[in-house]
Amino acid sequence: MADSKGANPILDDTYTYVCASSELEEDDLIEFETGEETFVVGRGEGNVYAVEGICTHAYAELADGELDGTCLTCPLHFACFDIRDGSVLEGPAETPLRVYGAIEMDGSVWVSTKRG
Amino acid sequence: MGLSKWTDPYGLVQKGDDKLSGKPGIIIIGAGIAGVHAAESLRKEGFRGRIVLMDRDGQMPYDRPPLSKEWLTGEMDSASLLLRDPAVYEKLDIDLKLDVDVTSIDPVRKTIDTKDGSSYEWDKLLLATGSGLRTLSIAGDDLQGIFYLRGMTDAAAIKQHMQHVKEAVIIGAGFIGAELASSLKQLGINVTIVERSSYPMEKIVGREISAYFLDLHHRNGVNVITDDSVAQFNGDTMVGEGVTVEGRRIPCQVVMIGVGVTPNTEVSLPHLEIDGGYVVDQYGETSIPGIYAAGDCTVWPYNEVPIHVEHWDHSLNHAKTVAQNMVNPQSAPYSYTPYFWSDQHGSRFQYFGHTQQWSKTVLRGSFESDTFTNFYLDDQNIVQAAFLCNQPKNALPVRRMIKHQKAIDPEVLADERVALKKAVWSQ
Repeated sequence: MADSKGANPILDDTYTYVCASSELEEDDLIEFETGEETFVVGRGEGNVYAVEGICTHAYAELADGELDGTCLTCPLHFACFDIRDGSVLEGPAETPLRVYGAIEMDGSVWVSTKRG
Repeated sequence: MGLSKWTDPYGLVQKGDDKLSGKPGIIIIGAGIAGVHAAESLRKEGFRGRIVLMDRDGQMPYDRPPLSKEWLTGEMDSASLLLRDPAVYEKLDIDLKLDVDVTSIDPVRKTIDTKDGSSYEWDKLLLATGSGLRTLSIAGDDLQGIFYLRGMTDAAAIKQHMQHVKEAVIIGAGFIGAELASSLKQLGINVTIVERSSYPMEKIVGREISAYFLDLHHRNGVNVITDDSVAQFNGDTMVGEGVTVEGRRIPCQVVMIGVGVTPNTEVSLPHLEIDGGYVVDQYGETSIPGIYAAGDCTVWPYNEVPIHVEHWDHSLNHAKTVAQNMVNPQSAPYSYTPYFWSDQHGSRFQYFGHTQQWSKTVLRGSFESDTFTNFYLDDQNIVQAAFLCNQPKNALPVRRMIKHQKAIDPEVLADERVALKKAVWSQ
């Protein structure tokens, strides 16, 4: 993580710094953990999004998958999710991913650990 | 698999009632991974006629891979094994008939008869009968504590028996045997695998990877005996030891046999071509028009060569595609890269493609780090298959690479400094 991160932009302190904007290029996925939760943050079509980091179908880390536009593909059984709202685009997953708030401010990417 | 949360993610539940009542509809024989996904996909494709999904098993359709892994070790409960919440079949108007044995099919009158005396009419038929286990005949194999693992009933019996077990013998070092060994070791049981060949799975993964597996077992405290087989079991009522051809005596209170599977093609008809499975075209149709087959029980064209695989992922995808073609004939040729995965001793293995005659292999990563991808190239330097160890990040680029069927520089493949994603696109 970059040293040049700014101050937490959100007063209620639920946002966590993830990385510098420059570290998250188009179609990149970055995994990060807070407490017991794993998140995956991605940049699709220019915007940053955050969803839960483990596939809802079987244990696999989604950061090992691929983001193509806004379609996030799992590397184990190839379920596809829409990273914008967590919805299932293609099975075998049936349950949508939880979505978290993600913002980009002053060259930094932040994610809310409260569900979006 | 959040069963209680099923929210019709694909919008399958039809609104209104414009079913083609009176029409015979589609019958699916076999409610495993292929049968269930076919039924669901038929609705997704807009089929509104009658769907009958039948199976000779009495259990609600369930998922098999966890039986040798998370279910056996107690990390997963039985409810989580179900492929679908029972309410889903009702919602999708799928007529699920369990405990049903098919006795005969009449392809002219388009009917099937079942053992309980019922007769069903069909317009199209899908054979999704899966595969059965190869069995061995060994002196003393009627003793208690000797198991095959195919379904839920076997798995439940094994689980119950395990409470008294300190030592186990597994016959066969294939993927099922290896997964069982890993699960039993996790439960604190001493495990010995007895394998007939020198290098298990050599035909699929090659000698180097086979040797890697033998070493992996060894490092995890599993005893593997190769070039030998069990000739006899001894015990009073329960198995107490296995004696091998080479004269080894292995004390054990449980034996599990995993020596491969064979397609279930008992449902047969004159003119229905069977050659190592039901032979289907790229649309999943058999040699009899209107009769389709999907999954483990089939032989299907991969890169124009007929192949047979027994993979969860193939069954699911084949079923979906075949269902599409049953609704809209010859609309969706099956274009798929074979894939399977296996979890053992805390490692995750993934295999893509299909080849038994590669001309060279390229290793990216190292065995020592338990993190590598091994590529299988043909004489044109086209990647035909790849074996991944703890490198899930390579899964999707590798799958694309095999699908593209274009030559690649082996040195680039081996060079971890070149991102695989980039290597694929530069092809």
